[in-house]
Amino acid sequence: MSRPGWRHTPVGGAIALALGLLGVAAVAVAPQCRAAATVVAQNQPETRPQPSTAPIQDQQKRAAENIEPLSLKDAAPVLGKKVKGPNGEDLGLVVDVLVDTNGQPRAAVIDFGGFLGVGSRKIAIDWKALDFTALGRAGTVELGLSRAQIAAAPEYKPGPPGAEAVTPPPAPAPPVDTHK
Amino acid sequence: MSVSLAKSRPEPDEAALAGHGLDGLNLFVANIQTGFGPFISVYLTTQGWTQIGIGTALSLGTVVAMASQLPAGALVDAVSSKAAVALFSILAFSASALLFALWPSALWVYAAEILHGFSSCTLGPAIAAMSLAVAGPAMLGPRLGRNARFASIGNGIGAALMGACGYYVSERAVFFLTAAVTLPAIVSLMPLARLRDPALSPASYPDGQAGPGRAPISSLLTNRALLIFAMCVMLFTLGNSAMLPLAGNTLTKEAGNFASLLIAGCIIVPQLVVAAISPTIGKLANQRGRRLVLLIGFSTLPVRGVLFATLVNPAALVLIQGLDGIAAACVGILVPLVASDIAGRSGRYNLSMGFIGLAIGVGATVSTVLAGWVADAFGTPVAYIGLALVGLAAVLVAFSAMPETRPSS
Repeated sequence: MSRPGWRHTPVGGAIALALGLLGVAAVAVAPQCRAAATVVAQNQPETRPQPSTAPIQDQQKRAAENIEPLSLKDAAPVLGKKVKGPNGEDLGLVVDVLVDTNGQPRAAVIDFGGFLGVGSRKIAIDWKALDFTALGRAGTVELGLSRAQIAAAPEYKPGPPGAEAVTPPPAPAPPVDTHK
Repeated sequence: MSVSLAKSRPEPDEAALAGHGLDGLNLFVANIQTGFGPFISVYLTTQGWTQIGIGTALSLGTVVAMASQLPAGALVDAVSSKAAVALFSILAFSASALLFALWPSALWVYAAEILHGFSSCTLGPAIAAMSLAVAGPAMLGPRLGRNARFASIGNGIGAALMGACGYYVSERAVFFLTAAVTLPAIVSLMPLARLRDPALSPASYPDGQAGPGRAPISSLLTNRALLIFAMCVMLFTLGNSAMLPLAGNTLTKEAGNFASLLIAGCIIVPQLVVAAISPTIGKLANQRGRRLVLLIGFSTLPVRGVLFATLVNPAALVLIQGLDGIAAACVGILVPLVASDIAGRSGRYNLSMGFIGLAIGVGATVSTVLAGWVADAFGTPVAYIGLALVGLAAVLVAFSAMPETRPSS
């Protein structure tokens, strides 16, 4: 008549097993290595496609000739890198780069501020205001402006009419105008 | 009546243990969910993801979470051991967190988003069903109040812990920490492992009668109280979801050096309020009825919107967020409670939770998109007022149409 409120199930055992498995999984942490890049270069002489009569070794050799090694000192990825302020404080992350018609970078879009992803704003910063000397070594970009100085900047919106980039106050440059 | 109620529940010491298990489960699960919030977009950015790629991954998670609500609810209804459902959901969280931490490349991130989206939809209903099993329908209100208290403590601790971890260690470490917190969550499940489904058990109910087996789904979806409640919470979420991001955005603009700290305050202050008041709210829902609690919770939203629109003082914004805590406590307790009133003995409790969850998901998604668009086009104050008006609509619908669902006994 009186029903037991509890019933024996294998769930208890399953929980114990799960705990053990998670312990094993937690140990498997793979470190990531960073390698220098090699890029396919285009402007080297003697790299035009040759008639297919050329021996295969020659083709491979030529292919190797238009590969240019780039160390992290020469060029480093910038998307997702931290932007540090004058006192080493975290300002935000580089999320995009605005380039002109020559492919030259004009401004970096920075996702600025926020806490755990809440309340951040995207702001365009003049490329010339950024210092990239530590990028290859420490993976950070430095900006000589404090949080308060860039906080009031207009929010970056992709698409027309373009961005309004924050420039350093001592030498104000005209706002970047990216015609998209 | 009290005799039959006492019989329906486990032995006192086992019941106390199960209660503590639920406390821990709510605390740690809330803690885990902090890591899966908007922080994912920060983390993927640091891994060199483009904004479009991140948008795709997060949208995938949202779509999966919405599409899973009803199937997940039906699945939880069909499985008799809710602890097993909770176990697998938490294990999916562990796997998801580890995938994020170890392989932040497209395929694995998508897999992690899908795993997390689906298991979020099974875990919430499973916790509610276990709460119903432990407390019984008559004492479910206070039990859910306690759940909300521990969940908000978990949220608050999670925000502080994950924020510090992201700042001082690394963004990646946040996901290892999240995976680690799944361990105590699983330990909390142990005293709940032998709990049985109360839905079809006559002893769980004061009149000693079980429901008439599993009710047809059509009867659920034509239940007026459920439809109106779902509509109310959808309107409320539509007005509520975008307010914190908008306020955070304002703070980042206005508050300079302390913005991040103030935004952290905006996240943690409501959790403190929930922790403080939710047991009282749970009792109030039991003694004075669900309607009153619903109206109290909803009516804070228009007030908050108007205050946000008119005040720009950063410290004031943090204090106004306290109102969010009142609303969060009321709505957080009422969703599983009203679902239990309506469908607790129909064998469709979790499906009803899924239905309400879907309504909340739709409200939240539309809210951010709509408020973002209005803020761009007409300015942030207009967006706040718009959200306040939607909140007012939620109050009016609840006031005019929502029936009292508290069982008369």
